[in-house]
Amino acid sequence: MTKKKNHNWHIIRELVISEFKLRYQNSYLGYFWTLVKPLLLFGVIYLVFSVFMQSPVENYAIYLLLGVLVWNFFTEATLIGMNTFINKRDLVTKIYFSRAALIIASTISSLITLLLNFIIFLVFMAAARIMPGPEALFFLLYLAEMYFIATGVTFILASLYIHFRDLQHIWEILLQIGFWLTPIVYPMTIVPTIYHRYIYLNPLARIIEYARDIFIRHHIPSLYLNVVLLFMTTVIFFSGYFIFKTQEKKIAENL
Amino acid sequence: MIQVKNLSKEFLIPHQRRDTLKEGFIGLFKKSTYERFKALNNLSLQVAPGEFIGIIGKNGSGKSTLLKILSGIYQPDSGSVEVKGEIAPFLELGIGFQPELTARENIYLNGTLLGMTRKEINQRFDSMVTFAGVENFIDLKVKNYSSGMRARLAFAIAREADADIYLIDEVLAVGDESFQQKCLEVFRDWKRKGKTILFVSHNPGLIEEFCSRVILLDQGRILAEGKAKEVIEQYHKCNSL
Repeated sequence: MTKKKNHNWHIIRELVISEFKLRYQNSYLGYFWTLVKPLLLFGVIYLVFSVFMQSPVENYAIYLLLGVLVWNFFTEATLIGMNTFINKRDLVTKIYFSRAALIIASTISSLITLLLNFIIFLVFMAAARIMPGPEALFFLLYLAEMYFIATGVTFILASLYIHFRDLQHIWEILLQIGFWLTPIVYPMTIVPTIYHRYIYLNPLARIIEYARDIFIRHHIPSLYLNVVLLFMTTVIFFSGYFIFKTQEKKIAENL
Repeated sequence: MIQVKNLSKEFLIPHQRRDTLKEGFIGLFKKSTYERFKALNNLSLQVAPGEFIGIIGKNGSGKSTLLKILSGIYQPDSGSVEVKGEIAPFLELGIGFQPELTARENIYLNGTLLGMTRKEINQRFDSMVTFAGVENFIDLKVKNYSSGMRARLAFAIAREADADIYLIDEVLAVGDESFQQKCLEVFRDWKRKGKTILFVSHNPGLIEEFCSRVILLDQGRILAEGKAKEVIEQYHKCNSL
């Protein structure tokens, strides 16, 4: 059974390939929709906040787009990931392979979408004549942390969703609320200082703000802040994985 | 090599499923009633490498549950399971076949899940397609396949999985005669190669031909164990009571 360890990567790869084929083959525009959705969202928010309300945030376009893309990744990864066991119930009940591989394959698919969207983001940056400096490489770290946070949360959601189908609705609502409690469309400056600590309990708020620091202000957040974020990511990921592991054995039976 | 000791597995079948909060909440005030279904009851079994074991029994006697526990899909409530070697389960035809993908795509997915690398699948691809007889339909979506075609394809893929232990559960129920013949050839081949096989079937002829030892399950217990003819006779006796 030791062959299995390495083989899980093969399995993940095949699952990701299949996932892409499945998601987009029957629609004409296919993958185009996934790329376009966050951009449309960005477009309309930009219109309202920047053009109508004339938000004074500098480089609002980049500022907003960064937030929208990160949040969109988290939303998509968790919502789709949550359904993984239900959608793939045939695989889970007929053959044994790492259940974690299924979740990981799902969140990787969402990550790929983010990366493609990110290319568009870089195009935007070029158009706004903001060149990312060498500190932009730091973003790779935040990318990885984003991924682990989303995957950790998905582990929990997918395990519990089998027992509570209500979780889908609850999570959708929490995401809606989260969208507004995270400084995506507005700058942190409009939030009264006493609330800052609560906003920053949300690691995604930190990631978005730090990403803006890097790309717009060309400034790397302090070591302390980075360590805190890393700590949060680690806790979320491992507790997610741990909860998943306690539920893992019962998955096939409860589907 | 498989070693099963005192295996027990119980399913709690609730009289009403509770998977929404509303049902769970209302249900708090009512005591939930379950049926305790003992699928496996203190079962012990040993299979030596190279043995071709037949498992027979009525529906609900625990055959599928046993195979699912052996392949890791279910966890036992108590007892231990020790397996040495790679297992390839044929628990249902077309396991993991995604109907919206083509046969070609499914071969890669299914093959990988069964333990093959992409390279191995590439090498064995033509052999699989020829065995299944679906050369002309390889880029057709599996949802458009007949159940017979699906059976042949699934078997063709699983046949190439280099496992040491094969768990076969009623896979010959579907399929026309030529397919059945092909399967039998594969079984004979496996037997020659010394593979370990657990074969669940309702077909006494096949059991007699292939199995060196047969186990009769009833209500999660081993009712009889021994040579094919005798155990099958006992099975008939149970059924006619």
